[in-house]
Amino acid sequence: MTQQPQAVIELIPASQFSIGELTSIYNQTRVDYMVPMPMNAERLAEYIETYDVDLERSLVAMDGSGMRGVAMLGVRADRAWVTRLGVIPGTRKGGVGTALVRGLLEQSGLLGIDFNMLEVIKNNTPAHQLFFKLGFYEVGELLILRRAPLVPPIEPMIADARRLERYEALDLIGDDRGAQPWTNQSETLHHVTDISGLRLTLGDGSTGWLVYQRQKFLLSRFIYKTDTGDPAVMAYAFLSHLHHQYPRLDTRLENIHVSDPHLPGFRKMGYIESFRRIEMWRGEPPASLVHSK
Amino acid sequence: MKKILIVEDVPDNAELARKILASRGYEVLQAENAESGFQSALDHRPDLILLDLGLPDHDGLTLASWLRASDGFENLRIVAYTAWPPDTAREMSTSYGCDGFVAKPIISVVEFLAQIEPLLA
Repeated sequence: MTQQPQAVIELIPASQFSIGELTSIYNQTRVDYMVPMPMNAERLAEYIETYDVDLERSLVAMDGSGMRGVAMLGVRADRAWVTRLGVIPGTRKGGVGTALVRGLLEQSGLLGIDFNMLEVIKNNTPAHQLFFKLGFYEVGELLILRRAPLVPPIEPMIADARRLERYEALDLIGDDRGAQPWTNQSETLHHVTDISGLRLTLGDGSTGWLVYQRQKFLLSRFIYKTDTGDPAVMAYAFLSHLHHQYPRLDTRLENIHVSDPHLPGFRKMGYIESFRRIEMWRGEPPASLVHSK
Repeated sequence: MKKILIVEDVPDNAELARKILASRGYEVLQAENAESGFQSALDHRPDLILLDLGLPDHDGLTLASWLRASDGFENLRIVAYTAWPPDTAREMSTSYGCDGFVAKPIISVVEFLAQIEPLLA
């Protein structure tokens, strides 16, 4: 049997395609995923804006037959993020994914950035191995959590509660929260309009705050910190107030560190694990990441 | 005639389910995203919704929670249609008020119908 010669792959800046075309290629690459996460053009445009995706430096892989894959690059100061990588089924194992990631790394290098980060769905072994091969290393596991609005009504824990306006919430998230996944970094929240927050002081003197996005049907993008006290108790207190206030809203949280000490409070409040991602880095993390502002 | 709404954005998956259900004599409606699925449910009041959990505008779980929070759908059956591992699919779909789940892709027509038809009895 003769082996088919591999087609020549050309990498084209994603900025040369319409959002509709990028949405189409992205969805085609995910169609057989266990968690496909399809998008429409509106959601992809929002994603590009929220996560500082640079379409000039993002890439579409083409061969003689058309679009074969896509990969996007988020850029923030001295760090970059590899995201939305996908290759159309039937074209995989032909070097398209490797070419795309190498292309993105070259693009971040041209910007003088030598630190790149990404998340990969746990058990997506081919992608995981590809990233290892290209110099990424594992940092930790991240949880995607959901809470249905159908659980019985919650009575809020007794606390001194104060609602925070958007400007106050954005001021708070500038606090040092350590290295965060790209999606949860302060820059992300600054791009989102419907942000507010909650500051609580419990009877025993514990204090902390929660910042969140509230959309018509969904609560998401939680950023939180326990200033003093037990994080699990504080998390339960935040959530009891939030879900008491919005009992009919669905909740989806992305990329919560598996070692987050607040997690027992989430589980007690009815949050369940949807799936996991592995966070991977390449290069030495810059000070701007470790001391996120 | 019982009415089934398929909410699924991948045409091949939707078409296969439609053919199977239509061949059994059900009236089959289709929608390709959560918002049009919700509107179709309001307009046509189906007996059962076969609901893809990964939709391009809002995900299927969010749509399930809208339906369960809305008046007039007390008798609606919702079946999640997903490639998630069975344990995760069961836990997520149950917590969002679904009555069951079927694995994607459909491998066995007999098994697929065995998961749908008892809910319409």
